[in-house]
Amino acid sequence: MLIVLVLGGFLGATLVRLAPGYGIDEEELDTRLSEQSVQALRQSHATEENLPRFYFGYLSKLLHGDLGVSQSLHRPVRQLLAERFPETLKSVGLGLALAWLAGLSLAIASVMSRLWIIDLATGLLASILLCVPAAVLALLFVIAQAPGRLVIGLIVFPKIFYYARNLLAASASLPHVVTARAKGLGGWRVLLWHILPVAGPQLLALAGVSISLAFAAAIPVEVLCDIPGIGQLAWQAALGRDLGLLVILTMLVTLVTLVANSGAELVAQPLRSGDA
Amino acid sequence: MKENLIRAVLLFTVLAAGLGVSAQSGSQLRFCIRADPKTLNPLLVDDEPSETVRYLTGGVLLRLNRSTQQLEPELATAWRVSRDGRSISFTLRQNVWFSDGTPFSAGDVAFTMERLMDPSLHSPTGDSFRSGEGKVITKVTGKDQITIVFPKPIAGLDTLFDQVAIMSARSPRKEMAVLGPYYLADYKAGSYLLFNRNPNYWKHDSAGRQLPYIDSVRIDIEPNRDIELLRFMRGEIDFINSLDAEDYDRLAAQAPHTAVDAEVSLDAEQMWFNEVPESPLPAYKKAWFASADFRQAISESIHRQDLARVVFRGHAQPAVSWISPANKFWFDAGLAPQTFDRKAALQTLARDGFHLQNGTLRDRDGHAVEFSVITNAGNEYRERMAAMIQQDLADIGIRLNVVTLDFPSLIARITRTFDYEACLLGFVNNDLDPDSQMSVWLSSGENHAWNPAQKVPATAWEARIDALMRTQALTLDRNRRKQAVDQVQEIVRQQEPMIYLVNQDAMAAVSARLRNVHVVVLRPQVYWNIDQLAIGNRGAR
Repeated sequence: MLIVLVLGGFLGATLVRLAPGYGIDEEELDTRLSEQSVQALRQSHATEENLPRFYFGYLSKLLHGDLGVSQSLHRPVRQLLAERFPETLKSVGLGLALAWLAGLSLAIASVMSRLWIIDLATGLLASILLCVPAAVLALLFVIAQAPGRLVIGLIVFPKIFYYARNLLAASASLPHVVTARAKGLGGWRVLLWHILPVAGPQLLALAGVSISLAFAAAIPVEVLCDIPGIGQLAWQAALGRDLGLLVILTMLVTLVTLVANSGAELVAQPLRSGDA
Repeated sequence: MKENLIRAVLLFTVLAAGLGVSAQSGSQLRFCIRADPKTLNPLLVDDEPSETVRYLTGGVLLRLNRSTQQLEPELATAWRVSRDGRSISFTLRQNVWFSDGTPFSAGDVAFTMERLMDPSLHSPTGDSFRSGEGKVITKVTGKDQITIVFPKPIAGLDTLFDQVAIMSARSPRKEMAVLGPYYLADYKAGSYLLFNRNPNYWKHDSAGRQLPYIDSVRIDIEPNRDIELLRFMRGEIDFINSLDAEDYDRLAAQAPHTAVDAEVSLDAEQMWFNEVPESPLPAYKKAWFASADFRQAISESIHRQDLARVVFRGHAQPAVSWISPANKFWFDAGLAPQTFDRKAALQTLARDGFHLQNGTLRDRDGHAVEFSVITNAGNEYRERMAAMIQQDLADIGIRLNVVTLDFPSLIARITRTFDYEACLLGFVNNDLDPDSQMSVWLSSGENHAWNPAQKVPATAWEARIDALMRTQALTLDRNRRKQAVDQVQEIVRQQEPMIYLVNQDAMAAVSARLRNVHVVVLRPQVYWNIDQLAIGNRGAR
């Protein structure tokens, strides 16, 4: 996990460092600045020219708990993360709760009812939400003065719905489930005792993936809905070519993804073994 | 009966006064800025959000009145610039305290100037005072008397103090102890800044009431202009300091009384050719761009009126000089505006051996005239201007390619690699005094855009500009300085190293509930008189 984490940060740093115009400040065009100040401004990025040296120097500081100072926001990265991470956790938590509640409920309704009209309506709703770009959804919420955090739920919902519906439908068509139904077992009992246990491990894996999806969705949503979280910070860091901050954010997102997926895998493992 | 009448009048007066007070007490002004301030240190301010913080919190010795464009006393009650222009003496206001209760004295001014002029600080404000090598000496001659001596004369020395927010030498709160109308009470990065009224602010209105009138200012950080406009229309914010032409028209159609066009601003849009001898351009293109006739012809073939009318929807006017007409004193009113004349442009080009062949302009050696112009991506106005210029040049047989780049890449090309042919950009002007443009006009300047940091002037006219700019910097007589600057404007108009296109209007949106507002063209357009602004339903703007 540590190797993946370091690699993720290194790739992020490399991409930003190689982007054209890296290490250039708009302040250079300030006509008031003296020649010495312009040169000092240019020199301030000189240490970052050698990427491996910059990166390993950076890592050694990181191991000592020093996350550095954001070049674009001129504030300690640790402070920025402490202020903004709770906001993103709130947005992502709320969004995931909404997405799972709606996605799983509608998937169950679609599979269990076996009515074409419900299948069509839920599928249509999910397709529409899948087609509308995240930024458009966020803007609609801004115009409607609705809480922007809910947009994350609407972005993640269709993915959860489609995956969950397919998994549940596949489980529902297994011979023992069909037999149970044929013997007159109640819908809820079939779902709880025969369908969900089979689909459980995959649904847990989906839970891990949905966390990554929600974090990715947080970037446009927080930018457009003016939520001061990690997503907005990542956007500002990218625009300001803030290498140090971007590396930390890349590593943070990598860490969240890894923890979420590993956690899901860890929980799903005993279930799979039980099935076997 | 008479007693009852007096009682009723008194009651009415008390009630009315009470209503007036209640309209003010707890009042909050709200507006948006585009990004977080990069610094809260007033000495290091270099970006607009930080400038906003400094303007609200900073107490200055002298303030440039944004409306009259004249200097006015603030923390200094009197000042005198020495005959040689090297020193300035201030008499300071007495019985003034910082927001945390620390007393203000000449020692604070000395402390601020010493910090500001520290070479390792690289302060843009401090660099404005750097006219030559040597140390700045501060002489405190009394509790309220101070003289600051600079190593070399500085043109417009007193005006520069408009940017110097005085810091406390003794307060443990450092830059958080302020002398301005507000102090920073809360700041949530990426979200908002909250300022509370400075209880020790020294200024009072004519009725003896302590200023500012408004209790607090909340500034939301909102990078999206559309959302800012939406919030203004919903009444969530009180003004938009800088409105673009499209938003102005949208607002003027829906709520005409809130949209304000303060006429032409200090900012200009311009285009220039790469004249750097070491640039990686082919020799024949370098020869084109170095020709004054070529530049003149390009300038003549651009329809500036159309740019102003179409791109800026009429909220701009053709630019004549590097100094905008909004700069009342320094603009050379005698300059003739550039006329749009395709025929004249072709005749000018013919003098250099250019000729039309099957609708394509070719140089003496038969090279088809084609070049690219770079501009910053995402700036709709510049992209549209470039498209219109492309059309204008096509009419005289020139093919123009428009390339949009992100801003850092563009800066890399115009300052480091010089891998570009022409550039279309706008420079934001905050200072009225042309001395602030020295690095643009001196041939040795880093911002001498078309051919920066020359060891010796490449042309005779650049040498002449160097001499004139140095003369104005060393002359204290304002009128003699003006003569020199006028000559520079005339040379630039003839040689066109920078082809000035338009000066955009300063536009703002102001809520009807805000009183004492007088929108001006100088920044900050709406809240330049922040301590006089009031919120209430009574009274007209």
